[in-house]
Amino acid sequence: MTSRAYAPLPADRPAASPLAVADALSALLRDTTTEPRSDDQLEALTLAVAADLPVLLWGEPGIGKTAALTQLATALDLPLTTVIASVHEPSDFSGLPVVGEDPAVQGVPLAPPDWAVRLVRAGRGLLFLDELSTAPPAVQAALLRLVLERRIGALRLPPGVRIVAAANPRSSAADGWELSPPLANRFVHLQWAHDHDVVVRGLGGTWPRATLPRLDPERLSGAVAYARRAVCGFLTARPGLVHRLPGGESHRGGAWPSPRSWEATLRLIAFATAAGSSRDVLSLLVRGAVGDGPGLELLASLDRMDLPDPETLLADPAGAELPERGDLRQAVLDGVVAAVRGRPERARWDAAWALLVRAAETGAPDVVVVPATTLAALRRDDWAVPAAIERLTGVVSLSRRADEAARVAGARR
Amino acid sequence: MTADAPGALDLGKLFAARLHAARVRPYLATALFALRPVESPQVPTMGVDRHWRCYVSPAFVDRTPVAELAAVWVHEVAHLLRDHHGRGDRFAREHRLTGPAERLRMNIAADCEINDDVYGDGLPRPEGAVTPEKLGLRPGELMEDYLRHYRLGPRLERLAWLDCGSGADGLDREWELGPAGAHGLSAQERDAIRFRVARGIKGTPGSAPGGWRRWAEEVFHPPQPWRRLLGSALRSAVFAPGVGDDYSYGRPARRSAGLPGVVLPSLRRRPPRVCVVIDTSGSVSDAELGSALLEVAAICRAVGGRRDLVSVLSCDAAARTVQPLCRTEGIELVGGGGTDLRTGFARALRTRPDAVVVLTDGQTPWPAERPPCRTVVGLFPRTGGAYGENGPDDWANTPPAWARVVTIGSGRG
Repeated sequence: MTSRAYAPLPADRPAASPLAVADALSALLRDTTTEPRSDDQLEALTLAVAADLPVLLWGEPGIGKTAALTQLATALDLPLTTVIASVHEPSDFSGLPVVGEDPAVQGVPLAPPDWAVRLVRAGRGLLFLDELSTAPPAVQAALLRLVLERRIGALRLPPGVRIVAAANPRSSAADGWELSPPLANRFVHLQWAHDHDVVVRGLGGTWPRATLPRLDPERLSGAVAYARRAVCGFLTARPGLVHRLPGGESHRGGAWPSPRSWEATLRLIAFATAAGSSRDVLSLLVRGAVGDGPGLELLASLDRMDLPDPETLLADPAGAELPERGDLRQAVLDGVVAAVRGRPERARWDAAWALLVRAAETGAPDVVVVPATTLAALRRDDWAVPAAIERLTGVVSLSRRADEAARVAGARR
Repeated sequence: MTADAPGALDLGKLFAARLHAARVRPYLATALFALRPVESPQVPTMGVDRHWRCYVSPAFVDRTPVAELAAVWVHEVAHLLRDHHGRGDRFAREHRLTGPAERLRMNIAADCEINDDVYGDGLPRPEGAVTPEKLGLRPGELMEDYLRHYRLGPRLERLAWLDCGSGADGLDREWELGPAGAHGLSAQERDAIRFRVARGIKGTPGSAPGGWRRWAEEVFHPPQPWRRLLGSALRSAVFAPGVGDDYSYGRPARRSAGLPGVVLPSLRRRPPRVCVVIDTSGSVSDAELGSALLEVAAICRAVGGRRDLVSVLSCDAAARTVQPLCRTEGIELVGGGGTDLRTGFARALRTRPDAVVVLTDGQTPWPAERPPCRTVVGLFPRTGGAYGENGPDDWANTPPAWARVVTIGSGRG
């Protein structure tokens, strides 16, 4: 954001020209400041741009997509080049033929447009393709090559150039075409919505400032390992989600899972992990890369991956740290019981009871009931009942009260 | 586990009730256990906030039987799962509703949406629970529908005690801890729980009542207005590469002036030819057909089709004559009885269209071969055992995979 201070016009001097006064007023209006503010969608955008993945912002017209891009370019110190895709012809992106002296010998080269030449000369920059969804299919096809291979005519965009596109949702683009699935698959789709508080505060003179997420050099290799484990583990369990073309009419034009978008997901998880971003930011990114359904499933499996390992818990029940939230706690306890069922040994069975007692004493006891019932059923004849079970009487009476309620409700029905 | 002092919250009873609720509604267990109870003497009964905290009145727990308490647990968690606070906020914005009276109306409408099918099967209906029938409304509708159909009146004053918290209607209460309070769930965590519950419901069909199944289907993919979907399907069928437009040397490109010596092709488009096949069997009502046909005509005009290139063909067991769509009104639809769309296709293809739009209820045999042009099917959904009445062979009547299918009449067109 630029802020220029114009000297106020002295009142006694005759006004120079009406336009000078108007300029002074405009300058005062431009005089705004920025403040750092945690903004999930801006952070997601910044991370995806940092990860060098093409981003597509979906949002109603006038919502501030361009303003956000201007800020991002300032924050990343990249020159911003805006290209309105819908007013161009396919040849603007694939190159315009220029005839030399002897076309039969030299051939006809395809010349790139001026903005591409300037971008390549600068070596770095933020290329903003606006109004993508209103571009005709032939222009979209030409853009495919630009977005994927980073080529415009004979030029190749240098690695320092990042690509962001914007599109209006189908509801507001009255004469818009939908994005073809191959083009849609290359982008990370971010839904852009305005935040009421941000707009009001911005109009009051203070806009939020995008900060480049700081990637922690210490965490780089750990982040890559984590991301690989997350995506590979998930796709091993759900092979059907590796590639799935959008089926229903309402899913067209959006993100969908394919090996390419899974690779993008892997990158995004690694970047978000190295930057220490919140789960909400990661959720925006992952759902933007592979779509809502597969994205949510992956996030659910990440949640499970972050839970403590049952074997670690069984090895040291006294020092175990169980999650606070009831549903996660029950998932952990179910995992512990499943681990004991997988390799039933007396010591492991006892350790599991100790864990259940710990869970019942440190949190809501009702989540313990189902794991305790399952664990009790695993008992072998020669295993004595551990003394720790005494401390589960509260759980038992709770279970009885629930049984009683079921009986009463059943009788009343 | 039990109340040591009068007035203290009987956590044992509360948790026994939650356990009972999780047993009789296993698909809600994740969501129930994720709720965090907070003791609050100020709340009249039980209430939730949008961060998944559940405020409980100790006196209410004392006077309510366990099974009924379990029903209240399920009721409160349903408010959160169904995002009543977010939907209430959206509705209030769209319809400019303010004030606590409107929020009470939202709470009542949300209760109606929940209460028509969550009780029974082990959960007794709490005393004074408001149901659509009590308000003289049809059961099985959504909160927004109820909000449109009733007003607060003297008859409803006795419901004023009812208060399910900001989680039900979006209005913050004084006893609530707010976003910064302890142990709230983030937006991503809330989505993850919704997703897990929805997957549980979809994974075990038949165990959940209809209202929950509908919620599970639509929670992450709300139905879109069919007009929008039909429009984009038709647009992409008409403008798909190879249809309607092509390069031609018939007229020089507008850029030729800048490139002397080069013959550039110009992009010429011939207006798309669209044939609409209308299923006039007795099972499709004239009103449905009329609105869909008007829509198709409007879209064709919007994409540059000339009226004389849009033709309409009514088809029952035999295909009738093809009529040009010269007027938007007064198209004569003849027919009735059974349908065979195969003859309709054969007749339509004789006009060599760029796209065929079929408006049907799907109760018909389909061509075995993919036709040589794009096909959009506007499908009037038929529920209530329309499929499969004549045995399993009827399933072959669903539209084939090569057609783009838009369900007409679902969502708010």
